[in-house]
Amino acid sequence: MIDIMTIILITLGGILIGVGVHFIPVGGAPAAMAQATGVGTGTVQLAAGAGLTGLISAGFMYNHLAISGTFTGLDYLMVVASGAVGSMIMITVTMFVGQLVYVYGVGVPPVSAKVKKDPITGDVQDLYVSRGTEGHGVPTVSFVSGTIGGLLGGLGGSMIYVQLMQIVGDPSNSGAVALAGIFATGVFYVNSVLASYNIGGTIEGFHDPKFKRVPKAIVSCLIASLLCAIIAVPIMGGVV
Amino acid sequence: MVDPIVMDMGIVALTGALATIAGAAEDLESDVGSQSNPNSQVQLAAQMNFPHRIFNKAISGEPPAYGLWCASGATVASVLMAKEMSIFFAIAIGSFVAAIILGLFSVTAHMGRTASQKRFKQPAYMDMVIGHVPSIMAHGYIAIFCIVAFSYIMDHFMGHPFPLPLLAFLWGVAAGAIGSSTGDVHYGAEREFQNQPFGCGLNAAFSGNIVRKGEAGLRNGIDNVWACAKLGGPLTGLALGMTVFLDNWRTTVFEGMNTIIAGLIIVMILILANRMVEVKARKAYGPYKDEDGGEVA
Repeated sequence: MIDIMTIILITLGGILIGVGVHFIPVGGAPAAMAQATGVGTGTVQLAAGAGLTGLISAGFMYNHLAISGTFTGLDYLMVVASGAVGSMIMITVTMFVGQLVYVYGVGVPPVSAKVKKDPITGDVQDLYVSRGTEGHGVPTVSFVSGTIGGLLGGLGGSMIYVQLMQIVGDPSNSGAVALAGIFATGVFYVNSVLASYNIGGTIEGFHDPKFKRVPKAIVSCLIASLLCAIIAVPIMGGVV
Repeated sequence: MVDPIVMDMGIVALTGALATIAGAAEDLESDVGSQSNPNSQVQLAAQMNFPHRIFNKAISGEPPAYGLWCASGATVASVLMAKEMSIFFAIAIGSFVAAIILGLFSVTAHMGRTASQKRFKQPAYMDMVIGHVPSIMAHGYIAIFCIVAFSYIMDHFMGHPFPLPLLAFLWGVAAGAIGSSTGDVHYGAEREFQNQPFGCGLNAAFSGNIVRKGEAGLRNGIDNVWACAKLGGPLTGLALGMTVFLDNWRTTVFEGMNTIIAGLIIVMILILANRMVEVKARKAYGPYKDEDGGEVA
């Protein structure tokens, strides 16, 4: 029974990662030349960077709370929330500093090419798109969307890590910590890559028409994460 | 007797400082070697009949590449520390080994990429390999040393449960993701296209038409790092430093639920700061078109 719950929660963590990637505004190589809205890197790269920073925070918090021997439901929430916040900090800092480069280094205003008005601020967008580009920088709607993406990615990664550690039940077992950490990283990459294929290069955030493809990502991430979870449980059990 | 919180804050500040140096060096290394997304233009230039002398070694994204260098350096350092070598020398030697691997990667990646462009008449300059690789290794060494060092501090002084190689791997991936998202934009959108007016927005029709002439002679990767060290590199350092410092600061100063609340407040402040920069940029630069669709800039 415990194993089934573990498998379900690891799968859910994988789905959260897959959905979270769709929220993160990435413009890939065109954004690195200020030819597309979003952060100038690849989907997997940024999502993994943020999610794994969250994993570092979650690992720290889990060790702090579980080392006493008792690990309650509230502790569980604290760990996954800590992972989500760590991930959000990384993604917001990155988007903010990236914005400084766009504004002061490249001299372009942040603007979306997918909507006429920013759904959050109401600012007109299309007049600020420079000729021959698909927008540039990180407008407020994309920034907020990226923050939500960081939250979901951090949450999902932390959930996977905690579930794997709960199989072993010994936070002082350094072999188990290392295996859980690297397995959570692996599941993160699997779901980020799947989501990246679904996005197909660039996405501005939840206001982008490509965001409607999320249901397909949920199905594919569910299948992939379920397979990962079925493999993970006996592997982690073998460490005990 | 020193208050423990003062000591803890000193350690947190040290991790932030090391991360700042690591971030700047990471971005500048990728500018010398032209790794990451802006390299698509360097690759394209030869195909568009613009042969150049820019070093080209992007056969991997920066995050997995830096994950590999930092994990390699930390693994060597861990083994040496297990053999009771001093911590400083163990990290220094581990980083040196990782820098050698980075150098090997750079040579094979550059030669392979350039050789594949023979049909576009892109020459393989041997003097470029000799001139650029030591600079790539030097910048890489600084980045790897600092990342492994602050990972060691987190591991041994702050009580992080992850083993050193895993922690260095994760921070290497994060450093690569931040460098690729922030400083590389300065290289890709500004330095590569200084033949376009500042702030014009880069029309996709100009793709591949990168600047090939330098301040003196033909431009190369070392000319690029000279320019990017003025903005892209330091800002990347700021981003990695802020990420490491803020994340460690909230868990050091606060406890329990307050760490979560403090983190959320930091995120809210950054969202507001971003909005302020957005408003300022829109006012300063104005629209490119008027309401009828006519060009005004």
